[in-house]
Amino acid sequence: MALTGLQIFKLLPNTNCKKCGCPTCLAFAMKLAAGKESLDKCPDASPEAQAALGAASAPPIRAVTIGHGERAITVGEETVFFRHEKTFVHRPGFFRVLDASTPASAIEDRLTDWSAIRIDRAGEVFRVDGIAVVESPGSPEFAPAAAQAAAAHGLPVAILAATTKGAAAAAEPIKDRRPLIVPPAGADPGPFVALAARLGAALVVSGADLDSLAAAAADAARAGVADILLEPPGDDLATLHKHLTLVRRGALERIHPGLAYPVFLRVGAGEFSKAVVGTSTFASIMAVADSGGETWMPLWTLRQNIYTDPQQPLRMDPGIYAIGEPTGASPLLVTTNFSLTYFTVSTELDGVGVACYLAVVDAEGLSVLTAWSAGKFSGDRVGKALRELKAAEHVSHRTIIIPGYVAVISGELEDALGDGWQVLTGPQEASDIGPFFRDVWETARPK
Amino acid sequence: MTLTVKPKTWPGAIREVTLGAGSRQGLTIGGGKGLPLHTFEAAFPRRPLLALEITDVDPPRWVDTVRAPWDGALGRPDVAAKRAVEEYGADVVMLHLVGTHPDRGDRSPAEAVEATRQVLDAVGVPLIVKGPGGGSRQNDVLVRVAEECRGEGLVLHSAAQEDYKSLAAVTVAYGHVLVAESPIDLNIAKQLNILLSDANVDMDRVLIDPMTGGLGYGLEYSYSVMQRIRLAALGGDRMLNAPVICLVGEEAWKAKEVKVDGTPAAVWGDRARRGVQWEIATALPLLEAGADLLVLRHPEALAEVRRVVDGWFVAGS
Ligand code: SF4
Repeated sequence: MALTGLQIFKLLPNTNCKKCGCPTCLAFAMKLAAGKESLDKCPDASPEAQAALGAASAPPIRAVTIGHGERAITVGEETVFFRHEKTFVHRPGFFRVLDASTPASAIEDRLTDWSAIRIDRAGEVFRVDGIAVVESPGSPEFAPAAAQAAAAHGLPVAILAATTKGAAAAAEPIKDRRPLIVPPAGADPGPFVALAARLGAALVVSGADLDSLAAAAADAARAGVADILLEPPGDDLATLHKHLTLVRRGALERIHPGLAYPVFLRVGAGEFSKAVVGTSTFASIMAVADSGGETWMPLWTLRQNIYTDPQQPLRMDPGIYAIGEPTGASPLLVTTNFSLTYFTVSTELDGVGVACYLAVVDAEGLSVLTAWSAGKFSGDRVGKALRELKAAEHVSHRTIIIPGYVAVISGELEDALGDGWQVLTGPQEASDIGPFFRDVWETARPK
Repeated sequence: MTLTVKPKTWPGAIREVTLGAGSRQGLTIGGGKGLPLHTFEAAFPRRPLLALEITDVDPPRWVDTVRAPWDGALGRPDVAAKRAVEEYGADVVMLHLVGTHPDRGDRSPAEAVEATRQVLDAVGVPLIVKGPGGGSRQNDVLVRVAEECRGEGLVLHSAAQEDYKSLAAVTVAYGHVLVAESPIDLNIAKQLNILLSDANVDMDRVLIDPMTGGLGYGLEYSYSVMQRIRLAALGGDRMLNAPVICLVGEEAWKAKEVKVDGTPAAVWGDRARRGVQWEIATALPLLEAGADLLVLRHPEALAEVRRVVDGWFVAGS
């Protein structure tokens, strides 16, 4: 928590020597508290004052980096509780669990497949962010082999350890790749702390409650571990959510230095809801046991939603937007300037792969049906807007595709546009645009 | 040293609204006195309720994977309602009168009343009735249903800022509950509630539908506007403290990602399961953001959200 002016004042020499340019130490303290001055200006400030002010201005949640090189992932450094306050800083990393039951011969294939995944969605690339290798005393060769293979693919590695010895064997060879060591639940943290400190690796600490969690992190920091993640307790979702919430709140309120770290979660097979709650509620690294796309697609997408800029306007600027590289013969569609509508339609058009123009007209940020019933998407209004946007200069034809929900405006729009314009009624739902292009546009298109 | 994170306390609370009356077994939502799901620090006398959506006619737009569990019941509202409640465990049923849309069957208000009656006869739970969407047909249909099914405490979906008067009137006259829908906009949500209040609608009979963006299609907007609405409500704003309803199923199952087969399969996984999880991943964040009533489509999504909610409100430590 930031210090108050009076708290800072108590740390100053109280000589009122004016060397800082302020008439009194108190005046200077008030400016410091308001962030309008810097402590350097007081030449007599004690080391204690510097330390206290420095700690108060450090980020409430430390940055932690796992991995090395292009695919290294940094988490932490969050500054707010609600996403509407300010964009969340670092998207959480989703690590795929590579189980010790994987035959040695299959490790390479699996890693090749996983590291090659790239899904482009709305300006973001979805990838597997890292590999969580399971260490199993029953197959001591597995974890070191898998960890090295994953590191060789450039992927960040977490080691879900069973024993200190096994964790050391897996982490040591890749120690310059900043691995993350995750001790088993309930283990004595001491040997793992020593291992992480010795290797310079990142470490997950846990605790049965908030107190012991914070204490464990503080102990690990004191023992020389720089990169720490917190694994909050909670066997059921309510308890987990409570601790996720309290860790974030405690960190932001700076109530204990042991809470100033990002959060780690393990998500077992079939624990989809836990992964969802973790993604929306402050988890920073998750090791996800399920590897199927039916789990990863929604998680990636949810992460994309939660971590976007909350200031993105709900209304688009009216205009003619090019999708792909359209030519004069490409389709021309029109919709409202409600950004959800625009986003749904443009994402779909992108996906369909037909280059076209999408005219976005000012309908006061309402969706198609709402806009129409409020008189903001009438034939007259749309026609006038299209003329203002000079739609006719973009295409060589005179066909405009309107949303299926407003088929009724066809006649009025044709009248409003005049000049031989024809209205083609498109589908009601954006998801039907593909079939529409194939079945309707291909036959109706102006030749 | 013992670590204490100060519990948050708030001057305001969410209103309690009872759904269903007359021949319905009434159920109450709302009443929360803290941030959504923060059961560890605030009182939540009511748990969120889960509804399933059924339709008056076979809904042609429903993708095969969400049609499957409704096989034999699509377009048969009585059969679907029974299945929703008795087999799938819905607390509430939402009858979506898709067939009354001029382009999707053009069924008359009388036929809408008939479908509603079938559902009322089939099950005893509270009923949400959703019209065909904006325009005059919406009012014609919902006004008739409200008149003919007076006293049943129906949840009428929905009134908007541009057009709320006739639905406000029948809500008051016939003892129903009205959903006030706003386009992801806190100010409009508030303004509409003020208008409804001025039209003599008791605020204890209003739900807010802040408009749901499905996962990947604006979920974040709904999520954040709901959190802001909830913060305002807890701060004491009595025009924003109505319980919130979210139409999750409709939005989640619209996504391209639930429809495509998706290649490679290793990246997209099982399509049916993907759809269910898409719906779950839309529902749970909205619960966190303050939803008091979720309308779902797939019974497996309902079962999982039910498991989460039940665990939450029992554990609640
Ligand atoms: S320079 Fe330091 S000691 Fe001198 S008045 Fe400013 S704050 Fe006080």
